[in-house]
Amino acid sequence: MKRHEVLVIGAGPAGLSAAIEAAKNGMDVAVFDENARPGGQLFKQIHKFFGSKEHHAKERGFNIGKDLLKEARDLGVKVYLDATVMGIYYDKEILVNHNGEVDHFKGDTIVIATGAAENMVSFKGWDKPGVIGAGAAQALMNLQGVQPGEKILMVGSGNVGLVVSFQLLQAGCQVAAVIDAAPRVGGYGVHASKVARTGVPFYMKHTVVEALGEDKVEGAVIAEVDDHFQPIPGTEKTLDVDTICIAVGLSPMSQLADNAGCEMKFLPKKGGNVPVVNEYNETSMDGIFCCGDVAGIEEASSAMLQGKIAGSTASYKNGYIDEDEWQQSVEKYRASLEQLRTGMFAPQNKGRTDMTETDEGIPLSKSLLAKGYVTDEELAEFPACSTKVSGVHPVIECTQNIPCDPCQDACKFGCIKVGSNISKLPVINPEATCTGCGMCIASCSGQAIFLVNEDYEDGFATVALPYEFLPLPQAGDKGKALDRSGKPVCDAEIVSVKSSKVMDMTNILTMKVPVEYAGTARFYRA
Amino acid sequence: MRIAQHPILGTYEKGQKVHFTLDGQDMVGYEGESIAAALHAAGVMTHRYTAKQHKPRGIFCAIGRCTDCVMIVDGQPNVRTCITELKEGMNIQTQYGVETKEAWEAKNK
Repeated sequence: MKRHEVLVIGAGPAGLSAAIEAAKNGMDVAVFDENARPGGQLFKQIHKFFGSKEHHAKERGFNIGKDLLKEARDLGVKVYLDATVMGIYYDKEILVNHNGEVDHFKGDTIVIATGAAENMVSFKGWDKPGVIGAGAAQALMNLQGVQPGEKILMVGSGNVGLVVSFQLLQAGCQVAAVIDAAPRVGGYGVHASKVARTGVPFYMKHTVVEALGEDKVEGAVIAEVDDHFQPIPGTEKTLDVDTICIAVGLSPMSQLADNAGCEMKFLPKKGGNVPVVNEYNETSMDGIFCCGDVAGIEEASSAMLQGKIAGSTASYKNGYIDEDEWQQSVEKYRASLEQLRTGMFAPQNKGRTDMTETDEGIPLSKSLLAKGYVTDEELAEFPACSTKVSGVHPVIECTQNIPCDPCQDACKFGCIKVGSNISKLPVINPEATCTGCGMCIASCSGQAIFLVNEDYEDGFATVALPYEFLPLPQAGDKGKALDRSGKPVCDAEIVSVKSSKVMDMTNILTMKVPVEYAGTARFYRA
Repeated sequence: MRIAQHPILGTYEKGQKVHFTLDGQDMVGYEGESIAAALHAAGVMTHRYTAKQHKPRGIFCAIGRCTDCVMIVDGQPNVRTCITELKEGMNIQTQYGVETKEAWEAKNK
């Protein structure tokens, strides 16, 4: 039997953060992961994260994963890979299947950070090759460098469905549609908008009824559903796709907590059967902690903070830090966590359909929830979206209260303000002068910021937009400008392309369009 | 299809080119990638046929949980190809039930 003071199960964002915090305080920590590579799902996440600077906002998930791993290794955390924890037994003993052998490990503290598993839906032909989970699509394209398919139907409009749809487009695949049985887009509006403006249609209140094809997917039949989620006969549509990607939510993988004897509760808002944890992420079992998705489905950013709280508490309980130190660190992490748990998508608001306006009292876009993009009329209500300003200026199409504020740090000239409540909508300071540097565009994880200049040339305006696709257009290229729905609206000419290290792979395309399209042209197609 | 250049990830770090066989056919992939990825890049969708209904199965979760993608690798059945790294000279066979095609056909004549 081997001994470590802290046994962490799962090397994802929560587990690694718990390990780092405990190791920082001097504890001897081991992390176990059933996979060959650590990092959990972080290495599949190639988009920029939301939140504030302290939450690693505007950093891409895989880079956060690299940093966490390095930090853990530098602190001497022992990471066991290909190591499946089979059970948790009396007095903090665990059994690990490692390299085909079963080992015993004993600890004083156990942190369960096993994450979540994907939910599935069944339909006729759902077992055919070509029906895959969203995580599989990410593994193939972002880890293995292989396109999951050519033409893909995305089932599910939560953040996973939206983010993966965008990643599929980045991998050079076509996304035939994003569908959801719910009447509203489930994920962040900005994630939906960046997919919609490339021309991907959204069908809400739709489900997939059949995967066509003999030995593999050769098409998909979708249909509208009634209020009881039953397909309405006669509304079927056939889509020409070779892949059906399922992104219909996650369930906590809480079996180990249950097995250990922790008090469990079925909480739909947390995604299923979860261990009951206190404010320090400790379960009903003394010294057994649960953090991250296993304790309730949330974002990776909150998983990291929960891990830190658990790691700090374990350090205190084992005498590695004193009470003051513990309270101070936990308070800091909790305040940071509270910031992330604000806004329309906060855990306490999960499943709510009664919200009609933003915290600022502006009507929420109905079009965004139904089709994935905001209409011109709806956008006019948002102060940061005004186009009636002379010279170059930011237009921030951020219309939902989401905890995120990198834009206010990005502008060195004080043009953009979110304030200390990071879920507030950004506002533009009319006194400050925009220089058109574009740092705000690259900093916006939702790709919702554009720089518009209606006074570019007689009769022409420029629109600068974030662009993360290949091939990258060149100055002088001519193509079409698309509106927010992805419809080509006018001719466009690229006048500049900006890329730099600090913008972290987000390029800024500036296109010239007839001035009357300054408020509608939001994407470029060669 | 392999992604030659990715707008965020650039080029993918790949091991050496390796040769392997699928049901006796010569195939090419890269060392260290998953067997499933190499097969998917070559357009192979069916990894196995189910024992009772003889229905095709392929990649589903790609993280080693669902066991839909299992195949016979170097004579060993039920190998999860999505989390098993490809190596030079691997002999990979489509799995029928839990056996090779030949064994399955002999039984189900």
